[in-house]
Amino acid sequence: MFKKILIANRGEIAVRIMRTCREMGIETVAVYSAADEAALHVLEADQALFLGPSEPAESYLNSDRLIRAAKDSGAEAIHPGYGFLAENADFAEACERAGLVFVGPPGPVIRNLGNKTVARRIMLEAGVPVIPGMMTPSSDHQVLIAEAEKIGYPVIIKAEAGGGGKGMRIVADQASLEESFFSCQSEAEKAFGNGTLYLEKHLQNPRHIEFQILADHHGNVVHLFERECSIQRRHQKIIEETPSSMMTPELRQRMGQAAVAAAKASGYRNAGTVEFLVNQEGLFYFLEVNTRLQVEHPITEMTTGKDLVREQLTVAWGDPLSFTQEELFQQGHALECRIYAENPEADFFPSPGLVLFLQEPFGPGVRNDCGIYSGFEVPVEYDPILSKLIVHGPDREAARQRMIRALEQYAILGIRTTIPFLLDVLQTPAFARGETFTDFIDRHFPTWKQSEETARLAALAYAIDEMIGNGRKPERMITQGVPSPWETLGHWRMEKP
Amino acid sequence: MKYPLQIGDKDLIVEIEESGKPRTVSAKVDDQTWPVSYRAVSPNTLHLEVDGTALKVCLAGRNGEKHIFIKGRVFTVSEKSRQFEKGISRRKADFSPGEVTPPMPAVVVRILVEEGDWVVQGQGLIVVSAMKMETTLKAPVEGKVWKIKTTLQAKVMPGDRLVEIKEGAKDE
Repeated sequence: MFKKILIANRGEIAVRIMRTCREMGIETVAVYSAADEAALHVLEADQALFLGPSEPAESYLNSDRLIRAAKDSGAEAIHPGYGFLAENADFAEACERAGLVFVGPPGPVIRNLGNKTVARRIMLEAGVPVIPGMMTPSSDHQVLIAEAEKIGYPVIIKAEAGGGGKGMRIVADQASLEESFFSCQSEAEKAFGNGTLYLEKHLQNPRHIEFQILADHHGNVVHLFERECSIQRRHQKIIEETPSSMMTPELRQRMGQAAVAAAKASGYRNAGTVEFLVNQEGLFYFLEVNTRLQVEHPITEMTTGKDLVREQLTVAWGDPLSFTQEELFQQGHALECRIYAENPEADFFPSPGLVLFLQEPFGPGVRNDCGIYSGFEVPVEYDPILSKLIVHGPDREAARQRMIRALEQYAILGIRTTIPFLLDVLQTPAFARGETFTDFIDRHFPTWKQSEETARLAALAYAIDEMIGNGRKPERMITQGVPSPWETLGHWRMEKP
Repeated sequence: MKYPLQIGDKDLIVEIEESGKPRTVSAKVDDQTWPVSYRAVSPNTLHLEVDGTALKVCLAGRNGEKHIFIKGRVFTVSEKSRQFEKGISRRKADFSPGEVTPPMPAVVVRILVEEGDWVVQGQGLIVVSAMKMETTLKAPVEGKVWKIKTTLQAKVMPGDRLVEIKEGAKDE
């Protein structure tokens, strides 16, 4: 096994990868930008190297500096985490050229799957159902109009190089296609430097269901069941769960087989995720492959007992998978909530700044993959994810109640977070019934205001705190220093019973 | 003791009276009165018993503004008489209609206008980025770009005046 690896990422995911490395006896090298000198991933690593200024292009997106840092530190492999360079084929190839193992699939596989129409062709040839739509992108709106006529409205226009909802529009009829085409084109040109577009049939109220896959260098491919990620805002997932409340054993088997076929057809290696949209009738369509570890990977870990980062490192080292499809099973139900530094009362505007106080949730079945501490300044330059809160329970309702309990314990003061909003989402009757579709937030929470119920108690607490002078104690502004290992080490590992 | 407080747009008055017993008071919040006992567990946590119901509260901040956590909810509570200590709540009223400030801490990524330009209401002036999300700050009024008080890559905060527009209609 590797002796030392570099983690080309920051925040909670870098910390999460380091935990597994420590358990495996692998030394960790962190990298950081000027904004992250005191970030948790820097403090948790065995070694930390400075990359450059805080702009991503000068630090976490700078392939040359990352590779030099790996060579200088004597690391044998680079784990990219997710985001930044995790799905960058050139970076994967540059690592290999420099004699470093890239913990992920080979460059050409990342490139093919990152190109949406190439990926659709690969899947179609492998017999994986794809959403009816164009197989070749175009920059001519007449071509798109003709295609839309063929497959029928509503359609969704997407950017060839797309992602994150940019260059994407739902079009209800021919009258609005032309205008949508040009705004998508301009958005896509600005965001990706590539204005070619394609269109697909738009599915109404689908569920977003994805399958975790693992593939080794010896031709073994398995899936680790589904994750449902239908609760999204601005096309970004905020709550994920497994198993899906709509899944049947028969559908799971067919979708799992399709995911494995997708992996085999693309020459996949390492951990990845095959995303599908599933309609009300249980028909499923290939959406895309994410060629990396997913943010929501912990819910799979909680229910299968497998550590996906350990599996990634084992596969990258060249060992075969240590289990077969038949040996895998899921136990109980897991939920994940993404805790973002955002203000849910103001259209989820980012809310960076100083964390004045942090109290993490704990107790049975609770895991918090967290990248902040009291006194940490959450930088304005990067993704707003602060932590992922994961719970595991014997069934969906027990997991839901456990998540509510854990969120009610989770205090982050000084910046705004999505915690109070997530509490309200989990407590809606529709969520409790498992009626989770991709339009859930728009339908149930077109706007959101925090309930005033406890406001009087907050006022009372202010007055008592003032009266007894508790707030004037010198320790108050921030709790000093870094959390002890007792607070930061997880308590989540699940082994097969 | 009387505390005139503000939570969001809401005003609340809390009155606290000693009960004679240690760590026990009678508290009136607006029109409701409760017996309350309290214990400071740490500089950031209080344990309260309000009308017989136990409650753990986390608090941070001082100087007339505190962030208060109760069961997953967070409230920013400020003391009305002390709002001008430490520049709390830079209000909209402090701004003239032609001044533009970012809604959140951010970095300036594009400046779309120059001093002397004529802009119409709603025209994009400056694009700021925070946590990978870009927001275009738009002209609140029609007029002439009088001053641009920021530069590319500058870190800016709500309350910073980035652009000043001299309001008026174009008379040519």
